[in-house]
Amino acid sequence: MKNRSAWAMLAPAAIGLVLFVLLPFAASLVLSLTDLSLGSPNPTRWVGTLQYRRLLVDPAVARALGNNLRFALVIVPMQTVLALALACLLHKPGWRLAGFYRALFFAPVVFPMSLVAVIWRYLYAPGVTGPLNRLLAGVSLGHWQPRDFLHDPQLALPALMLLSLWQGVGLQMVILLGGLQQIPGDLYEAAALDGAGPLQRFRWVTLPMLRNTLVFTALMTTILAFRVFDQVQILTHGGPAGATSTLMFELVRSAFERLQMGRACALTVIFVFIVVLLTSLQRLVLGRLSR
Amino acid sequence: MERRILTGQLKRFQREHPGPPVQLTFLPEGSYNSQVQAAALAQQLPDVLEFDGPLLYRYAWQGCLQPLDLLITESTRTNLLPSLEQQGTFRGHLYSVGVFDSGLALYGRKSLLNRVGARLPDRPEDAWSVSEFSRILEDLSREDPDGQVLDLKLNYQGEWFTYAFSPALASAGTDLAHLGSPAANRVLSRFQDWQSHGLVDPDLDDAAFLEGRVALSWVGHWEYPRYSQRWGSDLCLLPLPDFGQGSRSGQGSWNWAVTSNCRQSGRASEFLEFLLEDRQVLEMTAGNGAVPGTLSAIEQSPLYREDGPLRLFSIQLTQGWCQPRPATPAYPFLTSVFQQAMQDVLHGAPVSRVLTAAAQDIRQDDLDNQGYR
Repeated sequence: MKNRSAWAMLAPAAIGLVLFVLLPFAASLVLSLTDLSLGSPNPTRWVGTLQYRRLLVDPAVARALGNNLRFALVIVPMQTVLALALACLLHKPGWRLAGFYRALFFAPVVFPMSLVAVIWRYLYAPGVTGPLNRLLAGVSLGHWQPRDFLHDPQLALPALMLLSLWQGVGLQMVILLGGLQQIPGDLYEAAALDGAGPLQRFRWVTLPMLRNTLVFTALMTTILAFRVFDQVQILTHGGPAGATSTLMFELVRSAFERLQMGRACALTVIFVFIVVLLTSLQRLVLGRLSR
Repeated sequence: MERRILTGQLKRFQREHPGPPVQLTFLPEGSYNSQVQAAALAQQLPDVLEFDGPLLYRYAWQGCLQPLDLLITESTRTNLLPSLEQQGTFRGHLYSVGVFDSGLALYGRKSLLNRVGARLPDRPEDAWSVSEFSRILEDLSREDPDGQVLDLKLNYQGEWFTYAFSPALASAGTDLAHLGSPAANRVLSRFQDWQSHGLVDPDLDDAAFLEGRVALSWVGHWEYPRYSQRWGSDLCLLPLPDFGQGSRSGQGSWNWAVTSNCRQSGRASEFLEFLLEDRQVLEMTAGNGAVPGTLSAIEQSPLYREDGPLRLFSIQLTQGWCQPRPATPAYPFLTSVFQQAMQDVLHGAPVSRVLTAAAQDIRQDDLDNQGYR
């Protein structure tokens, strides 16, 4: 009886997961072993691991994966530190403007990425009239040479990182704020009585108490860094010359532009594999730490 | 605009040609192809379909369409622009008809071009050769405050790159299926040179030509209303430069086909014939500004007839100065690869490396699909 009601309560979530996550993934797994081309009248053939073997030697895929890694390596530490700094600044019980600033920093998270991308396209406009170019020329007293940020092989990926940082930092900040609010005030009091200064309190009270929240936000950002897509599709389309292509961009282009479903499914499997790897890594690290 | 006109025309059709009612469904353009693919899988395609021309060959290959050879009268067919008949033909059968067509040209500012002593060709056979064009760009650039004198509409996305720049391949004697050829290399290198010499305006605001930032704009018939209103008699229309085998414009647009689902092909044929009558063609093209799709309608169009300001487009389409996009089911793949190659080259990637990789991808896709037989 008890068992049955447990199953009944599990059902809504479980059915959704099976129907929309597990089954499609199983289908991808099967289709990744075929040469399915979307809408082709030719019979679909089994090709074994051909798609995977091709992906492994495809420079475009290596490039995309490299960009994802670079993205994660820069964005995860930067975004976490920045979010932590903002959260600490805004964590002042009783400060009247805190709510206003919290809303302000959180606002970009609510904007759809398509809107954010269009705004930043204007900020990044090339030539002397582009807002960012003008700003840099101003602060460098005219020494800055105008650049075409989104079309510059060196600057395109950093440009996407900057706007992703701006868009994403609010969410982490709110989660970290939640973590900060859970730290009991008497810990700080006790530390202060023991003679700990603000820096020491941050190092020995805030950070350890915030550890799980920090690991969680860092992992979330890492996974998000691996599925970067919207800003690439809208702003650079993977260019210039692959400098901003990502796994997700390669995947969507394969499936819906080039109609190579088999290849896209193989990419999906690789993508899920990476995400699962990262998640288990987090569980492992968390388990170690809490022991 | 097109939707309103089409809805009105359909009402008139029902009135003038009593019979089973025709129901009109509009699909959002962005996801059009995937919706059609889904409907085809579910065997729920409508009887008649309007879609972008180059998708035709894939639909026909998939068996979604029925040939119009017996559904369209001989007189309607000979009245169709040759470019539209070419676009609608796949492996020897006519599958689609278009109410309108499109074209590319260079829009120029006479005052600026005269200042550098450029001649102003008005017929495709007199087009500037590509080296003449490059020289004119350099000359114009010296007189220009920011040096950027050419607008390639780089703000447009996706299909524009294939539509606008693959005709240059034909003009050099090659095509999308031979991206590894030396001719293709020469064409894309030219574009890269113009870009790297700072001659091309990025045109993020879609107003490079309107604001007078450039002297030349490489774009289609659709810019005429804005451009002529802004520049009046200073505006001139020139054929695209000749890369060696004669000037070549793009062509093609949305067209109508009858699906293999259709059980009332008589009614469908009645409807298509109606759409191709002068009255409907002229009404639609007066609304959307495109080139009328039939020879008889062109002669009555104030813009495109003998002494109309856009006659160049009619000449290009009726006298073989246009390059259709390749009639192959591989088109979605070809255009995706070419768009990427073109953008990479414009961003400074080594031309021969980009083109070799693109040609390799295309060959592999062809093998994977058993030659699209």
